[in-house]
Amino acid sequence: FKSLVGKDVVVELKNDLSICGTLHSVDQYLNIKLTDISVTDPEKYPHMLSVKNCFIRGSVVRYVQLPADEVDTQLLQDAARKEAMQQKQ
Amino acid sequence: MVLLKNLQPPTEGVRHEQAETTAVMDGQRLGCGTLYVAETRLSWFDSSGLGFSLEYPSIGLHAISRDVSAYPQEHLYVMVNGKLNSEKAADDDDDDHDGSSDEIRFVPSDKAALESMFSAMCECQALHPDPEDDDSDNDFEGEEYDVEEAEHGHADIPTFYTCDEGLSALTQEGQATLERLEGMLAQSVAQQYHMAGVRTEETKAEFEDGMEVDTAAMEAGQFEDADVEHW
Repeated sequence: FKSLVGKDVVVELKNDLSICGTLHSVDQYLNIKLTDISVTDPEKYPHMLSVKNCFIRGSVVRYVQLPADEVDTQLLQDAARKEAMQQKQ
Repeated sequence: MVLLKNLQPPTEGVRHEQAETTAVMDGQRLGCGTLYVAETRLSWFDSSGLGFSLEYPSIGLHAISRDVSAYPQEHLYVMVNGKLNSEKAADDDDDDHDGSSDEIRFVPSDKAALESMFSAMCECQALHPDPEDDDSDNDFEGEEYDVEEAEHGHADIPTFYTCDEGLSALTQEGQATLERLEGMLAQSVAQQYHMAGVRTEETKAEFEDGMEVDTAAMEAGQFEDADVEHW
């Protein structure tokens, strides 16, 4: 995630809210700060219009949509596999 | 109707205090009061002492809203998970189908304070991480857990480490055993060259695995005569 700071991401929350914005920062709990946010899906977007900066608590995040070309999916898969192996133990 | 309770404003750990702040809960103006961003919780009280407080884990999102066309004044928007009152559950129409969220807006008379209000809330949110965690994101935490389990175990040294990281997580006992075994291996390797000669690489790999550690320790001495194929 830290390598994505400065990139545009879409955060989908567990209450169906989708927010597009620039990733400002992220911490170990996956709390996310977005700047210059905008609407992605108008239907799932309550009247929270034109917010500049927002802080999203990690526990309410359902998905974080990453731009495909920003992520080395092979590397991500390997890392996830390795971590899953470690966790099984 | 919003149920306002007569609570005490927090006195300790108040990161930010903002007077002359109007609170609007789900579109309902609660009046003008003081917002307290404390390390323990977020509170707002009006002049008569009525107010409410929010626990940070229940705050899903907070943001600064600056667009005047969307909402007439710049304010701090706070999205709360779940219902504030069970009474409201029956009446409310605006909610999403999943996860009920409530919205609260804090409109300070001093707009310049919004940044510090926002920052104070961010800091306090970081003080209240969620207790439930399905996965441990931190590799660090994962390794620590493993070491703890190893220490509590018997002579059963962690047998599952196959990668390099595992070696570093061995306990002192494990390290000592590893060194002892490697010494013994060096001895038996010399003999294996005479006997089979092929298996040395495999056996070394197995030692790293740790699977054979205990049994190997006992039987290594026996291998001077016996077949190599036990490995």
